[in-house]
Amino acid sequence: MRAMPRLLFWQYGIFLLVLGLVLVPLSFLILGSFSTARLPTDFSLETMGWVNYLKVYTDPDTYALLGNTVIYVAGSALLGISLAVTLAWLVERTNMPGKVWIYAGVPMTLAVPGMLQAMAWVLLLSPRIGLINKSLQNLLNLDRAPINVYSLGGMVFLEGLRLVPTAFLMLVPLMRSMDPTLEEAAAVSGARPLSAARKITLRLLAPGLVAVMIYQVMTALEVFEIPGILGLPAGIYVFSTKIYAIIRSATFMPVYGQANALAMVYLLIAVVTTYFYARMISRVEKYTIITGKGYRPRLLDLGRWRYPALALVFLYLFLAILLPFLVFAYASFLSYLQTPSLAAMKGMTLKNYRFLTQYGEVGDALKNTILMVIMTATATVLLSFFVSLVVVRSKFWGRKLLDQLAFVPHAIPGIVLGIAFFWVFLKIDFIPIYGTVWAISIGFTVSFLSYGSRAMNASLLQIHKELEEAAYVSGARPWRTLLRVFLPLMMPTFVGVWIWVVLHAVRIAGLPLILYEGPRNQVLSILIWNMWDQGYVPAVAAIGTLLMLTLLLLTLAVRYIGFRRQVVQSPTV
Amino acid sequence: MISIRNLHVHYQTDQGRVHAVRGIDLAVQQGQFYTLLGPSGCGKTTTLRSVAGLETPDEGEIFIGDDLVFSSSRRIAVPPYNRDIGMVFQSYAIWPHLNVFENVAFPLREMKARSSQPEIHKKVTAALTLVQLDGLADRPAPFLSGGQQQRLALARALVKEPRVLLLDEPLSNLDAKLREETRFELRELVKRLKITTLYVTHDQLEALTMSDIVTVMDQGRIVQSGTPMEIYQAPQERFVANFIGLTNFIEGRVDIAATGENGLGEANTASGKIRCVLPDGIHSGESVIIVIRPEDINIIAEHSSEKENVLRAKVEAVIFMGDALECQLSVGNQRLRTKLHPSSVVRQGETVSLQLPPLSCRALRGA
Repeated sequence: MRAMPRLLFWQYGIFLLVLGLVLVPLSFLILGSFSTARLPTDFSLETMGWVNYLKVYTDPDTYALLGNTVIYVAGSALLGISLAVTLAWLVERTNMPGKVWIYAGVPMTLAVPGMLQAMAWVLLLSPRIGLINKSLQNLLNLDRAPINVYSLGGMVFLEGLRLVPTAFLMLVPLMRSMDPTLEEAAAVSGARPLSAARKITLRLLAPGLVAVMIYQVMTALEVFEIPGILGLPAGIYVFSTKIYAIIRSATFMPVYGQANALAMVYLLIAVVTTYFYARMISRVEKYTIITGKGYRPRLLDLGRWRYPALALVFLYLFLAILLPFLVFAYASFLSYLQTPSLAAMKGMTLKNYRFLTQYGEVGDALKNTILMVIMTATATVLLSFFVSLVVVRSKFWGRKLLDQLAFVPHAIPGIVLGIAFFWVFLKIDFIPIYGTVWAISIGFTVSFLSYGSRAMNASLLQIHKELEEAAYVSGARPWRTLLRVFLPLMMPTFVGVWIWVVLHAVRIAGLPLILYEGPRNQVLSILIWNMWDQGYVPAVAAIGTLLMLTLLLLTLAVRYIGFRRQVVQSPTV
Repeated sequence: MISIRNLHVHYQTDQGRVHAVRGIDLAVQQGQFYTLLGPSGCGKTTTLRSVAGLETPDEGEIFIGDDLVFSSSRRIAVPPYNRDIGMVFQSYAIWPHLNVFENVAFPLREMKARSSQPEIHKKVTAALTLVQLDGLADRPAPFLSGGQQQRLALARALVKEPRVLLLDEPLSNLDAKLREETRFELRELVKRLKITTLYVTHDQLEALTMSDIVTVMDQGRIVQSGTPMEIYQAPQERFVANFIGLTNFIEGRVDIAATGENGLGEANTASGKIRCVLPDGIHSGESVIIVIRPEDINIIAEHSSEKENVLRAKVEAVIFMGDALECQLSVGNQRLRTKLHPSSVVRQGETVSLQLPPLSCRALRGA
């Protein structure tokens, strides 16, 4: 069968576009790491050398940084997984009451932006102003705050909490797909419960569990907001925050090449983890096996532990969503943060909200954000759709390569991608893109391309080839077929991906912070970051409250409309 | 070898509490192939799982050999791993992370008296040879065909030579041809090993061809128990007659209660008087249902000397089945089906004489 010539032209266009979007920034990142010039704009091939690597890798700070990163990543992944395994086991294998609340509530925690959650915990646990610290001090007559959230412990605790929902959503189907007769067969073969759990249940879950764990490690490694809010003020750096600190250093003239050199290790670690993740996933798929009518597993009777178990789950939901929201809402009505009391209640005011309407930057940031989010979401949807069209539907020679190229950004931490584009935009200054919202949009689009194209691939594979061919033989030209067949059939995926991108673009602070230049391209996440930095705590609380409400409602709406599958199965959060 | 007394099992579903097994009593003798047969939801699998210890009954007693493994009154519930059993699941439950050898070796490695490595090797190899899987020992379990998985599951159940073998619809996941072959292989194997077998199926053909004793269950109760031949030829309840094989039902009332040998009596039906085997102690005037298998009905020549149980019937339809000719007949409003030799000459629309051998007509108490 001959491919349609006009489509072939398209295929080359898409291929080259993705190639450029992915490889150009990466090459600039690599070249920049060898640049001895101070600024990206001064970069030339003559000024190359190993000096950045030497500087970075002889610096003892780098090794402290590596140690911090290991503790933070391992600690939060361990905490997150243990919590998620407990939750998943409780809802899938025990007779705990109120399971519906868990299934509905846990994914909702995804809606709370990490930056706001970290800030809320600062309001609760900062040694200077933290509400919990202050109450404990008064209650127990301590002269020092008992808990300091600006610590590795604080970062592990919070990122651990944040990893729970994705891990939970990955573990539930894993547990559900396991044939319970495999465990019963162990019991009738003479294995005691502990032995059966160790030799059968755990071994069967192992590949999936390891995959989930690697995935969580990748997420923790990439996250900027939590270590940014909790680690930076205390000088505790991990990779993502250190790179940011080098570039945004207030005291020294930034050495951009060093940031790149550091980003290269960071990238290497991320790529290696991604590789192992992909390998684990293919092993999980090998373990599928025929099953019979599959008795539903006998639910373990928790007896009098049913309600304590439920209380534990509610405690998690309380810590993950309710408490941050309540603290923000509470602080947003106060002139300054104070422990709840009658006096505090009397002093409640709307002036923080009024302040938002008067503070000029808020309006601009809002406009920028809306523009940026709509452009990013639309661009991601369109680009991923056309990429998938080539990958899934064409006989184009480079379709496998294109598929892999589209997946590459999955392994690139947001901060690293930000640096890479930072170099690109500064170097190609003949196109005035640096410092615009477009810059942020392009960065995000590349970053979300891996998720978008995975979702589109899955959806496109379900549309039978003959539906398309039937349109052709009915006389529809390719673009009419696109419009009349693909578009309506894939609408749910389009909308699902679009909203997913909006939800993520609005809350991620790392990449925009690198590409941020001034009020011209200040988006909401940067505004909140900057206001927080300058100590406008009550105003941040007001913005945060509104943003959290919006995101929670949006997430609820998404679930209600029924795009739950796409959003819930999102691999990147 | 297995004895169950007054077994009651409830379980909880989304729709509420279900009384799945309602007072089962049965005894399986040493070396017997004992089958629980019934439609889905009749409680047969729940009974089997109670013997295995995978379900905890609410009431009753279960013995395996002389061991009391469950007793509600004495509060005994031996867990499955301490019962001397082997079991094959409907899904086979082959562990995908272990290879063929390790799947079979698993029960040996879990035994209290540890076997030595060469001993395990010897026993596993013997078990695999028994089910003709020798040579596949190193194969990862997911790379087996359905039939091979079924045999692997059997090897795993037999490897520690349990006193009792429990089989939960082990053939239902095989395709038709393989199922037929495996039926005979399986029976031959357990008979050779002289192992007591409790078998659960909803397939009447499996039950009839493989078992020493068939117990028919319905709605949590035992309806009838007996040899396959008894169950087929002398069903005592309408449910059994209906569930096993094709059956004709003729309603009537007892005219002359049983006289003479064989319990033969006479009943009045819409199609005339029929001599049939009556249930014990039934009186004239009571309503009965006469059951006769299609293959027992004969078509006789127009002027035959036979006078007993002869009916005039119209041929409504003739269906060629390959090994038989199935005729649908009507005697007034009564519909009857018969199975004839394929070479019989019967035409649709003609009227024929039927003869119902009295000893093949079994009357059950009517509702």
